[in-house]
Amino acid sequence: MNHWRRSVGELQARRRQVTECEQALAALSKVTACFQQMASSLGSNTDGSGLREELAEIRAMAHRIYTGLHRRLIALLTETEQAQEDREQVERLWVLFLSGLETFQKDLRKTSSLQELFPLTQRRDRSALVKTGYSGESEVAARAATVQTPWVCVEDEPCPDLQTQISRMDSLLQEMLQRVNVPVWTVEATQKAWVEVEKEEQEEDETLEDLMQVEVVSQDSVTGCCHHLNCRLSCLLCLLS
Amino acid sequence: MTIKNVHDHGQRHRPRVACLKKVEALMLEMQDPTSGVKSQTQRLVITTIPHALTGEDVAAWIAKRFNVEISEACAIGTMMVAFGFIYPLRDHKRLLLKPDASLYRFQTPYFWPVQQWPVEDTDYAIYLAKRNIRKKGVLDLYEQEQYNNLHKWLNHKWDFIVMQAKEQYRAGKERKKPDRVVFDCQERAYWVVHRPPPGTVSAMDLGLLRLVDPNQKETKTPDFFRRIIIFTEQCIMRPRVKSSVSLGAIVKYMTTFKSHDPFFAPVLPSNPWLTDDATYWDINMPYVDHPTRMRVERWTFSFGELLSDPLGRDGFRLFLKKEFSSENLAFWEACEDVKWGTAATIHEKAQQIYKTFLARGAPRWINIDGKTMEVTVRGLKHPHRFVLDAAQTHIYMLMKKDKYGRYIKSPVYKDIQTKAIDPGPHNFSPSQLEQNARKRRPSLSPIIVRQLEEEQKAKLAASGPVDMTQLCRFTAPVPHLAVYSGLCETQSTASPCFAALPNSAACPSPISVAIDSTPASERRFDMHSGTTSHFPSIAESIETSVGGAGEEESPTPVARPRMTLSLSRLLRRGCNASSVFASLSPKCSVAAGSGRVQPLGTEPQPHTQHRRLANFFQIKVDIPPECRIYPIDSEDEEESPGSARGAVKEIICPWESITK
Repeated sequence: MNHWRRSVGELQARRRQVTECEQALAALSKVTACFQQMASSLGSNTDGSGLREELAEIRAMAHRIYTGLHRRLIALLTETEQAQEDREQVERLWVLFLSGLETFQKDLRKTSSLQELFPLTQRRDRSALVKTGYSGESEVAARAATVQTPWVCVEDEPCPDLQTQISRMDSLLQEMLQRVNVPVWTVEATQKAWVEVEKEEQEEDETLEDLMQVEVVSQDSVTGCCHHLNCRLSCLLCLLS
Repeated sequence: MTIKNVHDHGQRHRPRVACLKKVEALMLEMQDPTSGVKSQTQRLVITTIPHALTGEDVAAWIAKRFNVEISEACAIGTMMVAFGFIYPLRDHKRLLLKPDASLYRFQTPYFWPVQQWPVEDTDYAIYLAKRNIRKKGVLDLYEQEQYNNLHKWLNHKWDFIVMQAKEQYRAGKERKKPDRVVFDCQERAYWVVHRPPPGTVSAMDLGLLRLVDPNQKETKTPDFFRRIIIFTEQCIMRPRVKSSVSLGAIVKYMTTFKSHDPFFAPVLPSNPWLTDDATYWDINMPYVDHPTRMRVERWTFSFGELLSDPLGRDGFRLFLKKEFSSENLAFWEACEDVKWGTAATIHEKAQQIYKTFLARGAPRWINIDGKTMEVTVRGLKHPHRFVLDAAQTHIYMLMKKDKYGRYIKSPVYKDIQTKAIDPGPHNFSPSQLEQNARKRRPSLSPIIVRQLEEEQKAKLAASGPVDMTQLCRFTAPVPHLAVYSGLCETQSTASPCFAALPNSAACPSPISVAIDSTPASERRFDMHSGTTSHFPSIAESIETSVGGAGEEESPTPVARPRMTLSLSRLLRRGCNASSVFASLSPKCSVAAGSGRVQPLGTEPQPHTQHRRLANFFQIKVDIPPECRIYPIDSEDEEESPGSARGAVKEIICPWESITK
């Protein structure tokens, strides 16, 4: 089908859809990251029904996002008339979506087995919780709650419980692999290695070694402080002390 | 994309990991606020974090719980640390439990190794990217290498990885500082266990993946019972040994090898697995100049030990050469070659072996009894891998009963024993140990090891047959004319001739080679230099023998090898033998030194061997009754190809049809 014959409107609509998918992918990434951070405290002394409820909420949000994204990406990929540059981008999104789903599924499985291991149904179960040193107060759940789907949620199927979600995700992944023939190796990274290192993200953040400086150490020890590239402030302090 | 069509039965099915469930249960017990391990607070500059444990508390708790000694409790604790259930707060790369005031903390269950799915590379990539984002240049060298590899192999999901790393980093920042410290420690400890840095011993070597869960109870299907029936039937059919006999064998083995087992006795200089110092492996390489004392001692344990060690075999070969019975070892090695070689070469090798060792009148005839010989020859009609097994066993037993004992008492062995090196223990300090760990390098590539072995083999092959037997068959009187027609009794007369052969250090044939510097002579030298070095006859005896050979030249229809001719010509010309030898001595020494090492050169090997064998037979025909020592060149190929080859008949193997 001739490229020229397609209306501008169609092209614009498509481009909008693709952008929507990208945003959705970013949102999914955010949600799954929050989920992972919170799931890491399952079974620890901060575990409780509150945490599990929050996890369920995040799960539900993720479910909304990825089901919607799945639908839209399928639609985009199965359209017969495709412009070439679009196709590559959509395939890339597809592969990234697949990876994201796999990682999230792994997290879900871990969560499920941990919740079985630490049932928390009775009071004495709390004594079995592992004392990991967490204090448990965090804004991670709030961060997850700020995520929104980039489209208006008209279709609102209820989120299934954990086990069902895992098995449904299994079948979803299988279906994704079989239905659309996107060879994984054709997708290349858009950024080279080590690029994330130079990003603006790098505020003056200490390494773990710095954070773990033991109090006993006397004042004039400046272990490892001076050879940080961005740590100019600390260097000043070192010079002064 | 991880491949999902493989049924991933996961870690729980790997046999070594069955203990993880038990350690889990132990961990839960340790948490009990009343009866668990005492927890303390870790004081940092920025904050204090609760739930820290001291090593000694953990060790004491385990000792009390299991009613064991502190040392064993430490071992159990180290196991827990190595699996990743407890992690050290200081010195995080060394996964062991120190029973002192050093601090540890429990790992959160999310990072426990009991999860039923293998550790994913994607997660590791996300972790490394996260650390990169946090601060530039914090990755260790091995981590950087891993990062680069992952970037290559996970390139298709790299964008996702970076995106996820960023999000996780930002989500992590939402936490309070102490919690961030704790989480980072946990994550770091997790990855030290599952992607250990060099120098860290991790317990997560999981072994082969099993498809069946060994902890699962099996349902009693008919198939299950059928398998049990087959198993018990096989048990009944198995030949049984009296327990007193087998126990006696075990006890004997233990007492002999106790000091040689690295688990029972400390290895000298040091166990490379423990100290990361590979000296032990270097001094115990298969072909080394001086073996260690322990290795030499092993050769006295049994004949099998001697033969399985290449250096032992070399020493034994040297001894046998002196005893003039090295054809036994050569035959045994040739049989091993057939057994272990490629199937395509079996036929050819078996033929060669027959011609060289077994045929009547063969150059290196071995002494096996008639029945075995009959069986072997019959089998050689249709050679297979084990056709020479009976003969090989016979020769093995012969060597074992007769030669082995003499070898252990011989000066050759004693010489090796005195020259053996005896390294002292290393006694590394902990800092030296860490240095060793950092300097660890991969060992010699198997390809290079293989090449070295091939070179050794080529060296040995180049040195050629080294039997006195060959020589003496010529020197002994032969009742019949042609070897190829009838029995040859020469082997029985071989021994008296030995006495006639002097043992000195000069090398006769290099001299002759040097005189005649044609390429053919070089070739000859190449092939027989090995033999010559063992038949160091004095110059005079060469002279006489050659002179004798010269006299006999005329009546024989067979062409003499040019080597002898040249030497005799030289002597007739009246060269002073001593001056000849003197002028040639540097060459001689050089030749002697390099004789063994020279490769066969460019000419095709089977061709020359063929000719050598051919020559071999023709010469037998005309030996006078006196015991003469012919120089090795008597077995050289002749120089006039046409006449010689025409006059020679090869040994015909009995299974070959006589079509010539």
